[in-house]
Amino acid sequence: MRKFGFMLLSLVFLAFAVSGCGPSNELKIGVSAPLTGDISALGQSTKNAALLAQEEINAAGGIKLGDKSYTVKLIIEDDENKPESTATVFQKLINQDKVLAIIGSQSSKCSNAGAPIAESAKVAQISPWSTNPNVTKDRNYVFRACFIDPFQGKAVAIFAKDKLNAKTAAVLYDVASDYNKGIAEVFRDEFTKAGGQIVAFETYMTKDTDFSAQLTKIKGTNPDILFLPNYFNEVPLQIQQALKLGLTAKILGSDGWDNPELIKMGGSAMEGTYFSNHYSPDIDRSASKDFIAKYQKKYNIMPDAAAALTYDSCYLLFKAIEKAGKADPTAIRDAIAATKNFSGVTGDISYDGSGDPVKGAVIIKIENGKFVFDSAVNP
Amino acid sequence: MEIIIQQLLNAAQLGAVYALIALGYTMVYGILRMINFAHGDIFMVGAFIGFLLATTVNMPLVLMMPLTMLLTAFVGIAIERVAYRKLRDANRMSLVITALGVGIFLENFVRMVVGPQTRQIPAQLPDKILTFGSGLVVTEDKLLIILISLALMTILWLFTNKTLMGTAMRAVADNADVIPLMGINLNRVIAVTFAIGSALAAAGGIFYGQAYSIDPYMGIDLGWKAFIAAVIGGIGSIEGAVLGSFMLAGVEVFTVAYLSSNLKNGIAFGLLILLLLIWPSGIMGKPMIKKV
Repeated sequence: MRKFGFMLLSLVFLAFAVSGCGPSNELKIGVSAPLTGDISALGQSTKNAALLAQEEINAAGGIKLGDKSYTVKLIIEDDENKPESTATVFQKLINQDKVLAIIGSQSSKCSNAGAPIAESAKVAQISPWSTNPNVTKDRNYVFRACFIDPFQGKAVAIFAKDKLNAKTAAVLYDVASDYNKGIAEVFRDEFTKAGGQIVAFETYMTKDTDFSAQLTKIKGTNPDILFLPNYFNEVPLQIQQALKLGLTAKILGSDGWDNPELIKMGGSAMEGTYFSNHYSPDIDRSASKDFIAKYQKKYNIMPDAAAALTYDSCYLLFKAIEKAGKADPTAIRDAIAATKNFSGVTGDISYDGSGDPVKGAVIIKIENGKFVFDSAVNP
Repeated sequence: MEIIIQQLLNAAQLGAVYALIALGYTMVYGILRMINFAHGDIFMVGAFIGFLLATTVNMPLVLMMPLTMLLTAFVGIAIERVAYRKLRDANRMSLVITALGVGIFLENFVRMVVGPQTRQIPAQLPDKILTFGSGLVVTEDKLLIILISLALMTILWLFTNKTLMGTAMRAVADNADVIPLMGINLNRVIAVTFAIGSALAAAGGIFYGQAYSIDPYMGIDLGWKAFIAAVIGGIGSIEGAVLGSFMLAGVEVFTVAYLSSNLKNGIAFGLLILLLLIWPSGIMGKPMIKKV
């Protein structure tokens, strides 16, 4: 029995040793996505969009380097939306799969956990959806395809102040998550700067489901606005509980809201709320229309912003590899950094010395169970 | 004033759910001297059975709730029969590890079957908003959850104190070794205990899924909280588990309300450690010299 155990163990090791090799006409790209865990619905959109991009580029003959064509092979790993798992995924993708670059992860706390690993291994990372400024800060190999929270938080604060004529605002956010905390603080500062008053600034911890104590406290301050910069899996619950406690404030949110699950879970409680987002399917832009049509045809569901941004990140990387002209991580990094006017689904992307593109945001209103374009905010 | 009453009701609703879970911990500990770490996950399984009955066959709550409690009771019995009975006389540590393993199995099994998304059990309790005085707002479902939970706890108390089976359970808790000598079927008493504990947890799961939300990992955190509530109240004591649960919920809610939501867990658990320093075996627990 023991002998058999050893044999099994050595077989497992052998399997690991062999798995590093692959055909030489492939370009391997890693994708780190939250396929399971609390925001798994978003991990699914990530995977859908990445596979769509892979299928298209390979159907079109792959990527040409010199006079040889290579097919793109995405290695999609599950980071469970946990920072510690993301670190493991990045290690695996870089050391074992020897990928040329990594797309991911989605939430800021995870991208932030992967970034030091990509940075020290000199492998470029493009996060589609991580908006927290710290993700790319002081890093050379880390990029993103989206705007950053200081811009988004300001956009929402100004919208609340000028368009909704709010004088007082309350905030409820997850203090254990980089994204939520970052944007809550920006909103607080910008709203105060614009002449508004923050009457409550309340927190909870990831995975909490009872917000009634905080919301009751908020209700006591009677704010014009309740700002919930949290993820789509928690927001419906927060709004339902707020309504049940008799809160009448207008409710605002941020891009973490954007997933079809939001409406599915929240139902009528979501009516009349607003959130900032990366793009709106309503905007007339040919790249968006093409993408939405293809995505809907393949998966029979509307793409969320994370899907659109993942798709943009893939093509941004494909173009950069082509421009680099060789399968070398550093050359690819330089090519990404030199990107100018890449026309994506979510807008034009140019990098200007940092890993953050300059992009506009949109404000979306929820009306009759649909995300409806309300206004655009440009930098 | 309205705000204080509203916060008290928030605490009562949360405490009621904690109590329904904590009772299972305390009862199993009482008779087996074993901490059933899979109990939080049994609560989760109960919530998902309720969710499936409510969403797939649109079963109304009056039917769905008893059926869910019954099915979850069988889950509890099956776990005891398959995973714990053979280990009853083994080292307690083996039982604890097995329980943790059962919990992880349940989490992953449910995740595999229904998926990892956060969901809600469709609201079936009436949830009209009632307004009292100058701004005290309560929904009917909140009051109902608190009342039904209290009713279930009362029934449990009557059962353990006024019926023959209840007496047998208390006898086992008192001294399990002599029980077979008295002609009591030990296995049956233990099975009934698991059944009741699991059924109550299922009721808690249904309420939780209506008031808040459910996911396959919900049992971990809530299980811990309920376990701690049971320890504070004095593990092994039914009244203690209820008291501990409402206390824990009260401390949590009022820390958020009057101190800071940032400090919620820190203050809540700090206070509880303090309480344990004063009453090492819990507020209503009996001092016991025995290893886990």
